[in-house]
Amino acid sequence: MSHPLLSGAQGEQHLLLGNEAIVRGALEAGVNVIACYPGTPSSEVPDTFYKLGGHDRYKMEYSVNEKVAMEVAAGAALGGAMSLVTMKHVGMNVAADPLFTSAYIGLPGGMVVLSADDPGCHSSQNEQDNRHYARAAGLPCFEPASAQEAKDMTRYAFRVARKLGQPVMLRTTTRLNHLRGSVLFDQLPQPAELVPWAKNPMHFVPVPAVARVRHKELEKNMSAARELAESGEWTKVRGKGRIGLISCGIARAYLADALYAGGWEENVKVMELGMTWPLPEKALAEFLRSCEKVLVVEEGAALLENELRILAQRLGIAVEITGKNDVLTLYGEYSTTSVTRALAGFLDCPCPITEGRHSEAGLPNRPPNLCPGCSHRSVYYAVRQVFGDEAVYSSDIGCYTLGMLPPLRMADFLVCMGSSVSAGSGFAWASGKPVVAFIGDSTFFHSGMTGLANAVYNKHDILLVILDNGTTAMTGHQPNPGMTQSVLGDGALHLDIEAVVRAFGVTEVAKVKAYNLKQVTSALEDFKAKRGVRVLITEEPCVLYARRALKKVPPQVAEVVEQGADALRCLEDLACPAFYRDGETIAIDAALCSGCMVCLQVAPKAIKARKR
Amino acid sequence: MDKRIRIYMTGVGGQGTLTATTLLARVALDAGVSVVAGEVHGMAQRGGVVESVVLLGGWRAPKLDHGEADIVLGFEPLETLRGLPYLRAGGAVFSNEDKMPPVGVSMGKETYPEMDIIKEKVRAVAGRVHYLHCRELGMRAGSIQAGNAALLGALCTSGLLPFDEKTLEAGIYKFLPAKLVESNIKAMALGVDAVRAV
Repeated sequence: MSHPLLSGAQGEQHLLLGNEAIVRGALEAGVNVIACYPGTPSSEVPDTFYKLGGHDRYKMEYSVNEKVAMEVAAGAALGGAMSLVTMKHVGMNVAADPLFTSAYIGLPGGMVVLSADDPGCHSSQNEQDNRHYARAAGLPCFEPASAQEAKDMTRYAFRVARKLGQPVMLRTTTRLNHLRGSVLFDQLPQPAELVPWAKNPMHFVPVPAVARVRHKELEKNMSAARELAESGEWTKVRGKGRIGLISCGIARAYLADALYAGGWEENVKVMELGMTWPLPEKALAEFLRSCEKVLVVEEGAALLENELRILAQRLGIAVEITGKNDVLTLYGEYSTTSVTRALAGFLDCPCPITEGRHSEAGLPNRPPNLCPGCSHRSVYYAVRQVFGDEAVYSSDIGCYTLGMLPPLRMADFLVCMGSSVSAGSGFAWASGKPVVAFIGDSTFFHSGMTGLANAVYNKHDILLVILDNGTTAMTGHQPNPGMTQSVLGDGALHLDIEAVVRAFGVTEVAKVKAYNLKQVTSALEDFKAKRGVRVLITEEPCVLYARRALKKVPPQVAEVVEQGADALRCLEDLACPAFYRDGETIAIDAALCSGCMVCLQVAPKAIKARKR
Repeated sequence: MDKRIRIYMTGVGGQGTLTATTLLARVALDAGVSVVAGEVHGMAQRGGVVESVVLLGGWRAPKLDHGEADIVLGFEPLETLRGLPYLRAGGAVFSNEDKMPPVGVSMGKETYPEMDIIKEKVRAVAGRVHYLHCRELGMRAGSIQAGNAALLGALCTSGLLPFDEKTLEAGIYKFLPAKLVESNIKAMALGVDAVRAV
């Protein structure tokens, strides 16, 4: 059956995830090419395109990193296609170089950049606010606050991108990506016609003489974008009076609910911005002039607030502007409660939230953990046995970061994607301490390869363990170049990690089965005695991926047959979640046991295999 | 305008909490009720806490704060207790009472609260409470996972929502894969009976 995203007709209404609504919006615009690197909360956008498989309508790829994805999408837009590139907020840092220059040279086909930010760090190492990028690079920016807007703004963003020949940013936050709401479909046209390519190096090759001219063109385009913002299509004004509220992004939803719950809707004037860069200055100035005081409700940095202060000062508007304070902070996410508290203060009304509700203290937690049968646990166990606390552990981004938890404690520092190798090299160089770095297969291709080339070239001293589980596990099992050819299918070609490592000139290379503790341990001991760049590749498919996609379920499970010190040591040192304690008895939950049989190698006398 | 209702749902990764969330939201939309649902994906992996919200009647913010939910739907009793602060005073709780001990409890390092204590704390806040043995009801209906439909059945027959279990039943037929329909319909009916028996 065809998916409603591809078959749904104009006028149909469907409940869509925010990210699915973005997909429908891109399809309604006629998107031709999609490139991405997966990352929460952006991943369901490319994953949905991948699942739809509508390859007569569009081409899509999982690129090896965000910079590459941005370049592929920019190249496609130079080639005349409407292109979409998707990534999480920190991916924009990786892709910033091509982004800034794309804005200079212009992209005739039209490219939309999805930046999925993560205030509150649900699944990220920081909560940077990528609206900064719109300002820094010169990108028109749209921020939806509902599923319907996610679709409609995406479609509109493509139109702007093509009209101006300028990259456009669609900026979302986790709550928008992962909300579900009803979406009324518009027409699904044929994919966009390609914009014919005409050679013009004086436009598209930014040597200094060209770049200086293009900078001025960019500013002209941003002026045109400002006119689009002024048209008011994405600006909603409601209410009356001399007290104003200006909001953007998902904060608009908190504001609307807080005004409703507080019964304040009739007392204030509200302006909601959907197009948030460039700002509709005329409309904003008019709004500011009509108010005595204005509260700016925006999650993240005080960008809109500061722009409004500048605008008021420049135009001599006597209005009191407030925004960030001790309730509406720049940290984390807003909520209806925080906005209600801020409003009560701003409106000088009693706060309707009187009851203080507190989290129940002392409840057992459910921390994210490496799964039962995760091959990372096996490798980490072996590394701890061989290196203990002697070595310093340089971690990277993926499920394996969870190895930081006791008892494995396999992460001492982490900077960003790919940093395990290069930051590990620097640490060893400066400190003289032995460093063991961990990186996954997808992250290795993302940006570990360059760090490894550097480590070889500059003769660093590091042991790199490549935890190859054959998929991009953390973000939901997206393909990567390390996946086997049979899984990749006809659309992509497998790259062999060991061949890549050896081609870089690494001579100390070993490849072992991650579940085979003897093999892993012996390779580690061999490398421990050596110096220079050493690479251990440990292979075993991600246990969830093996079960779900490869349909592999081992016929056996482990069972504790002898209570005592061995079983206890296994429980405490391996910390497999399939183990549990019932009073003094240690047991293994057969429903959770994956059958990896690593525990049998840790405690051969205490644990045996039996049929599932 | 519809009556506005905010529902907070909580469970353990792998239990099907998000599937239940989506089903309830779709059923609401089919009933012509304005709906927004919110969830968090990503690091919430197997075994972690999974929270979601379903908002009916015009609420827009896909995230709830303490004291904002009219209804808490707990798919696991410890998570019901952890999610209890989200319930407004006098709200309703529908909870599974079959435990899934977290890893700290399995390792013998932490203690799972007694069911009586959980019930006492819930009673202190909620105006209406229903407990179901979802695991058992699900197994009777054909699969443990179907136990979630029992909880949804209990919710929909409660009279608290602008639609009832008949709308849910139609939604199960319409939105769930064919092979899951029979067990979910059965489980839903068991959940409905459990509430009516009170």
